[in-house]
Amino acid sequence: MVSVTDRPVSPSGHRTDPAPLLSIKGLHTSVRSRGESFDVVRGLSLDVYPNEVLCLVGESGCGKSITALSVMGLLPDPPVRIREGEILFHGQDLVALGNKQMRDIRADSISMIFQDPLTSLDPVFTVGEVMVEVIRAHRDMNKSDARNLAGETLAKVGLPDPITRLDSYPHQLSGGMRQRVMIAMALVLDPEILIADEPTTALDVTVQAQILDQLLTEQRERNMAMLLITHDLAVVASIADRVAVMYSGEIVEQATVDELFENPRHPYTQGLLRALPKVSTVRQQLDPIPGLVPYLQFLPPGCSFAPRCPHALDRCWEEPPELVPDQEGRVFRCFNPQDFTER
Amino acid sequence: MTRTLYLVLIVAVSSVAVFYAIRLSGGDAVAAVIQPGTASLEAREQLRELWGLNLPIHEQYFAYMGRLLRGDLGNSLTNNWPISEMLIIHGRHSLLLGGAALLLVFGLGVPLGILASLRRNGFTDISITTLSVGGLAVPNFWLALLMVWLFASTLRWLPSAGCCSPKQLVLPAVVLAMEGLALTVRMTRSAMLENLDRDFVRTLRAGGLSELRVVGRHVLRNALVPIVSLAGLRIGQIVGYALVVETIFGWPGLGQVLVNAVLRRDYAVAQFFSLVLVTLVIVGNWAADLGYLVANPRLRNARSRAV
Repeated sequence: MVSVTDRPVSPSGHRTDPAPLLSIKGLHTSVRSRGESFDVVRGLSLDVYPNEVLCLVGESGCGKSITALSVMGLLPDPPVRIREGEILFHGQDLVALGNKQMRDIRADSISMIFQDPLTSLDPVFTVGEVMVEVIRAHRDMNKSDARNLAGETLAKVGLPDPITRLDSYPHQLSGGMRQRVMIAMALVLDPEILIADEPTTALDVTVQAQILDQLLTEQRERNMAMLLITHDLAVVASIADRVAVMYSGEIVEQATVDELFENPRHPYTQGLLRALPKVSTVRQQLDPIPGLVPYLQFLPPGCSFAPRCPHALDRCWEEPPELVPDQEGRVFRCFNPQDFTER
Repeated sequence: MTRTLYLVLIVAVSSVAVFYAIRLSGGDAVAAVIQPGTASLEAREQLRELWGLNLPIHEQYFAYMGRLLRGDLGNSLTNNWPISEMLIIHGRHSLLLGGAALLLVFGLGVPLGILASLRRNGFTDISITTLSVGGLAVPNFWLALLMVWLFASTLRWLPSAGCCSPKQLVLPAVVLAMEGLALTVRMTRSAMLENLDRDFVRTLRAGGLSELRVVGRHVLRNALVPIVSLAGLRIGQIVGYALVVETIFGWPGLGQVLVNAVLRRDYAVAQFFSLVLVTLVIVGNWAADLGYLVANPRLRNARSRAV
């Protein structure tokens, strides 16, 4: 497992960096349910820079996955669709692209791997058959060349016995092996961006570390940007260059990983860090954030975190705070930021 | 291996059942053949002896099975026709009718089901689903009468009975296929919808595959697992319904032969063709087990052991 300290210096710690590879601007993604439409992603803006690992963190249901699927053009439409906003990739707005053009981008330029490798692979086709299909959807290559490329990629992502595995069905592989297959499928065409949606959540802990390690190795070797979606702050600490924290469909704080863990500014981020169990000699109570995630249909008029916030002011209930930079160049969304105390 | 053994065992057990059932059904073969009052008691007794009807029933059974296994199917009791010849002639007709029905069940049922699933809740879907509910609900003898009334008596498009021109084939094949067709449509539709919702579909789309490939190749192949595996059951169903449908449409197949033989108390014929139909149904069920193994790679490791 790669620790925070031996990670190379981020090339993209701050916004002074070169042009972003992927730029999400004012994304509103809405769900239609019983004739009523409401936003689950509410004006989200996020830049992904070349070669960086950006973690998108938040509780279940905060809109992380929907954001990723919006980028991929894979929203289950209906009922979920992009209502407003742009997603710029090489200056091209992905939201406006036609099906065919979007298909060409998937897996070739932007790839995605999913949470549950058990259900995410087609059970009645072999690993090799599907990989060959993906390769040949994008490259003018004959079947045996495509198969060789698939085998090489499987070997590269650390799947033991890759050539035999080409003829395996998903059910013949363990969870960790399946996730390596997913990674190989996503990387086989050498994409510029990899979106990994909770890639280790469904795996057991020892395998989680191996898979994360593999992802990080691939990200470095291929000079690829990675958008990693997770709710696991331990994962964030071990892998991220930058972190964006999401709450109820919007970003509430964005910073480099060191800044975020040293001095989180938003009370929600602080709450997340406090809720982490700590290793200590004295057994301590966990310190959860009180209250529940708000229903997105019935958001309060002010700050969406105000109902759970220990420092909420009257103003917080009345108007939503903007995402503003502080002196150090990081951004967060709070009228009344407090210094972080462990407890 | 196990399943094939079961197959043989079940066929053997059913042959016993068929044999006893025919004998238990009452009536007297000799009485059925000989007009009352035309033969003396001694002559009747001689005939009984000749046919082995005086022996204990289990001895009759083993003698009969022994002849069957040697390929001697015997002759009809009523017209002395060789049963083997009847099997070939009528079997051909039944094969034609059954084959046409099976073609309708899968060749029409699967595409209609796919169409319905892709037009989910649209007009096409609702029409197809409604018709298939109808196909399931209407008993086939009643459907046969309706079809004859509409297409033969009223519209005069198709003949109401007979064999074996294509026009004569249409009505019996449609009636015979209807229930299986309706079931296949509904199963295909629901299997397609279920598989369209599965996570792997998203993965394939994320791989940049076209919708045609994702749906036409991957979703369909997954949806076919339950359909292929139940194909054998459809065969059994068609064999069973053939009795009714062949009789109604005067289609000279195995079913009609059996029905007529039973009515005439022609034990030899009834017994043999009951056995044939029972065996077909059993083989159909066995094929269903096999089909499931073939269609579902997750069970393939178990295949060599189970088949």
